[in-house]
Amino acid sequence: MQATIGESKKAFMTGNEIVTWAALAAGAEVMFGYPITPQNEVMHYWTRLAPKYGREFLQTEDEISAGFTVCGAVQAGKKAFTATAGPGNVLMQEPFGMAEAMRLPLVAIIQQRGGPSSGTVVYSQQEVTLTTFGGNGEGNRMVYSTATHQEIFDYVIKGFNVAWKYRFPTFILGDGYQAKMREPLTIYEPQDRGIEMVSPYPLIGKAGSIGVDREAEHLCNIYSLEEELYDVVLQHAEDYERIAPEIIEYEEKECEDADILIISHGVVSRAADDAVKALRAQGIKAGYFRPITLRPFPQQQLRDAIAKSGAKKMLVAESAYGQLYRLIRQEIYGETIPIEGLFMPGVGIIDYDIMNKVKSIL
Amino acid sequence: MFRFHSQIDRIVEAYIGEYASGKSELAINRALELKQQEHRVVLVDLDTVEPFYTLRPLKRLLEEKGLEVIGLSSEDAFGLGETGAMLTPQARWALWREGDIILDVGYGVMGAQTLNLVEGAYESPHLRILAVINALRPMTNSQDRIVEYLHNLGRVDAVIANSHLGDETDAELVLNANRIVFSVAQQMGLPVDYVAVDEKLRDEVPGERFPVPVKYIKRYMPGAMWK
Repeated sequence: MQATIGESKKAFMTGNEIVTWAALAAGAEVMFGYPITPQNEVMHYWTRLAPKYGREFLQTEDEISAGFTVCGAVQAGKKAFTATAGPGNVLMQEPFGMAEAMRLPLVAIIQQRGGPSSGTVVYSQQEVTLTTFGGNGEGNRMVYSTATHQEIFDYVIKGFNVAWKYRFPTFILGDGYQAKMREPLTIYEPQDRGIEMVSPYPLIGKAGSIGVDREAEHLCNIYSLEEELYDVVLQHAEDYERIAPEIIEYEEKECEDADILIISHGVVSRAADDAVKALRAQGIKAGYFRPITLRPFPQQQLRDAIAKSGAKKMLVAESAYGQLYRLIRQEIYGETIPIEGLFMPGVGIIDYDIMNKVKSIL
Repeated sequence: MFRFHSQIDRIVEAYIGEYASGKSELAINRALELKQQEHRVVLVDLDTVEPFYTLRPLKRLLEEKGLEVIGLSSEDAFGLGETGAMLTPQARWALWREGDIILDVGYGVMGAQTLNLVEGAYESPHLRILAVINALRPMTNSQDRIVEYLHNLGRVDAVIANSHLGDETDAELVLNANRIVFSVAQQMGLPVDYVAVDEKLRDEVPGERFPVPVKYIKRYMPGAMWK
């Protein structure tokens, strides 16, 4: 496949633009999409760049189709992806569920906007529950929550690889601020960093006779009998739990002696990082913990941080009304540390917001 | 017939260009520069492409600095929902105002076409359409790419060299990356109006390094949350 980035270089870009370049660099062959702010420029840039690199694009009639066309394309062996937000993410839950059911290497970039419903076009972190556990399945998904432009580039590339390696639907969870912000980052060809891209392969129409040359491919999203479904769901759950330790990623700072642990994800963790530094400078022992993967969740790592710090309290800061908070509570069930929330749905959180909250609860 | 205010020397500039090329930042700096020269200045937020991500959060601050700003403030937009994406009558008739007019136009081709909606824009003897180019953005990081991009934009009267990497900009980058912009301008027969350089690099990038004026700019847009 034609090189897209060329020599590794510094560049100044918006988050949406980075998604496009990263998808090109990752060897994505086709994007299916339907417009919605704040992910529109992912499509805009893809449609400008794709023809130059022999890649394809289809704007479908709605998000449901965009998701299902990705499901179809990956079965045909095409590295395909989509991008959406808010109500579009809601509509795509049906195809995302199909990808869970059929173990399809679907990749979706989610740029969260305000909710419920059309909410705002601007920013939020209210698609955590939807992206991790949406649909009528068991949440067998891989969800990376990025915090910087460098991470958007790195994790879009990684997202395609884990999707094709492990065959669970994979999400890069950003937000409107990250989509529109502009920041310098280093862009590169994956192979120049020693990253081997997993080649796509057809899931259907394989050569050879079934039962003679190869096993049958069971790509199924509906079963006749309860017991058939039961076996499949249990198998998927087992597979997911087995690979989870290989997928889980997190970031932890200053937790060893912390009196209070501040947990956040995505762009809010930048404010949390600043807040921890400022609080420490003021003599308040704060620690920083950030799940990078929201699914699977670094629950053991968070339990370990609580244990080793001996922290008296935990603060969950998020631009939502408790979506991360609920996720954490279910993941660390049994821990007795009191958990407080700084919930600011649909608006940005800065270091001062977190510092003030910490001082009010310590 | 269109009738314009009779100031012969007034300045009317429209900043167009790629998304995140620096249009709003340079429009703000230009308006403040003219204000400092005791001109009467009107800054117009014409971004109807992405009206939720414009200089809107800075409107109040800029007004406190003495600029007349046409555009919705965050307070004005409160309650409008998606109808907040509108061209106000004040913006449509902005060229009828007295004084210098700086238009901050939405991005890309569709953004540039917003000028069609401004009454008298193309009849104005004063209007200069300035394309802002950051050659450190991958979409405009080579001579070919910039030329192709400028051709798409329609009428362009001059270019502004605004190559930078945000907080990671250094003098060498400014000097090297902007060379491409000068080559493009020469190829297309367009003037380079000025080179924009972060004021933090004032000492490292002296004006004489370029054959056109260097404007040292203060960055206001990071004051908008989403930047």
